[in-house]
Amino acid sequence: MSYNIAVVGFGLTGRLAALELSLAHNVTVYEADDAQARNSAGRVAAAMLAPLAESVLCEQDLALMGLDSISRWPGILAQLDETVFFQQQGTLVVAHQQDKGDLQSFTERLKPLANHHAQQLSGPHISELEPELSGRFNQGVYLPCEGQIDNQAFYQASYNTLQKRAVSFKFGENVDVTCERFQQSFDYIIDCRGLGAKGAAHQLRGVRGEVIRLHAPEVNLTRPVRLMHPRYPLYIAPKPNHEYVIGATEIESQDNGPATVRSTLELLSAAYTVHSGFAEARIINIQTGLRPAFSDNRPQVKHQGKVISINGLYRHGYLLAPSLVAEAVALIN
Amino acid sequence: MSDSFSIYGEQITSRLLIGSALYPSPAIMAESIIASGAEVVTVSLRRQQSAAAGDDFWQLIKDTGLKILPNTAGCHSVKEAVTLAQMCREVFSTDWIKLELIGDEYNLQPDPFALLEATKILMDDGFKVLPYCTDDLVLCQRLADIGCEVLMPWGAPIGTGKGLLNQYNLKTIRERLPELTLIVDAGLGLPSHACQALELGYDAVLLNSAIAGAGCPVTMSHAFKAAVDAGRFAYKAKAMPEKEVAAPSTPTMGMPFWHQT
Repeated sequence: MSYNIAVVGFGLTGRLAALELSLAHNVTVYEADDAQARNSAGRVAAAMLAPLAESVLCEQDLALMGLDSISRWPGILAQLDETVFFQQQGTLVVAHQQDKGDLQSFTERLKPLANHHAQQLSGPHISELEPELSGRFNQGVYLPCEGQIDNQAFYQASYNTLQKRAVSFKFGENVDVTCERFQQSFDYIIDCRGLGAKGAAHQLRGVRGEVIRLHAPEVNLTRPVRLMHPRYPLYIAPKPNHEYVIGATEIESQDNGPATVRSTLELLSAAYTVHSGFAEARIINIQTGLRPAFSDNRPQVKHQGKVISINGLYRHGYLLAPSLVAEAVALIN
Repeated sequence: MSDSFSIYGEQITSRLLIGSALYPSPAIMAESIIASGAEVVTVSLRRQQSAAAGDDFWQLIKDTGLKILPNTAGCHSVKEAVTLAQMCREVFSTDWIKLELIGDEYNLQPDPFALLEATKILMDDGFKVLPYCTDDLVLCQRLADIGCEVLMPWGAPIGTGKGLLNQYNLKTIRERLPELTLIVDAGLGLPSHACQALELGYDAVLLNSAIAGAGCPVTMSHAFKAAVDAGRFAYKAKAMPEKEVAAPSTPTMGMPFWHQT
């Protein structure tokens, strides 16, 4: 049976929901911004798929959901008319001398995930995986099941694909999903507003993150490198065409203003200490986003009347969204 | 039996002051704070950019119902610290300030000179200053001279978890400044470290990473609560004197002669 469905919010979850639902239903997308959805966390994210590394801080069920999501990504991307960079060649975790203790405790706290185990690496092993890091680190950890996506390409390609399907778009519209008149026009409403639902969703808060995108022709890293840092998990994620995403900071703040000097210095010096080739890199942009999170930092899929809401993906948007959207879609079918 | 200590006249019973950073989630933070039995929680305003921006997170802390001790974490100059202290007073409606002024980026060591200067400015402005300082007796005396009723010497550099690196210094400060409220702040990693600080006669400990960075913060919170109680009881009970030569706990006088060598 085909339903009239509103997808409210055109960030990462909104895009995934629209892609999935438009295969069988009439979908209308509402977004307060334009097609860029500039306020969505997924547009800014480093788009890491790192269930093992994240298992250090999140519960095991979420890490396992991350594994499930990774297996869904290739199918999702195959629907798109353009190729979107997706990679699953693992993550390399390294630490500077003074942060060795953090690396050790990180390794000890990795949770067992199916058959995916972290591998301890010595200097020569690191050189084999990433020749350009040869001699820089003598100890590291390899997390084989992990991957990443080019989020900017995904945002563009998903929009292009949805435009070709008969999806209607209502940009620049702030929608009250609880409004009876609005609800009357649809059989289901998928609320993917993230922080846009603040106020309606109990205890939803924003967690500020700053991310820098660089063009670094002198750097040839083939997979994401995570650097142990006393304050935040820092990734250097290589995207196509020698672009690198460095991120992200994590600050308990709703402020969505431009990145601070301190954060910028921290991110860039972290990148430079991993690879001196970043010295001559060009800064493409420095972006700030707010991650929507509940107080336990766990996502929620809620069904109330016609409204199904997906929210609180915190720092795990790309890692969890495919599974959460599948869960929400299953409520309709 | 009431056993409390004073922070500028306010009686506090729990000898564990707890931080609010670096927990896996705000929910775990709230649970850990409750488990610790702490009455005072420290909060950093530094990186939120504006007062309104941090509202959601601070509301979670305000919801704990604890007394809030704002800090000036991350400040490197007197001006920065004074401005931030004034902001904190507005945001949290308290004249308490944990004054933290970093002098060395690598080990986050307090800058004693700037600290003294900023403390003076803030005391004159009506603040009740709790300076985070090194374990230097003369610095502590100078801070006391300008009116500090509470001092917070470090156990070890922030976040190292190394425990009390210089027990001699800490002990000297306790002995020489008996009227002051002394709180060991920073560097603790294990409950036994907190216990040692209380055994030395320190009124309380302030910690964050030791709980927030534990594998299970809530359980570690319980452990610290118990350790602080143990240390306080031990201090009040007055420990036996340490000796260089063994002294049997069972007197040998009445022993049958064939057991004697």
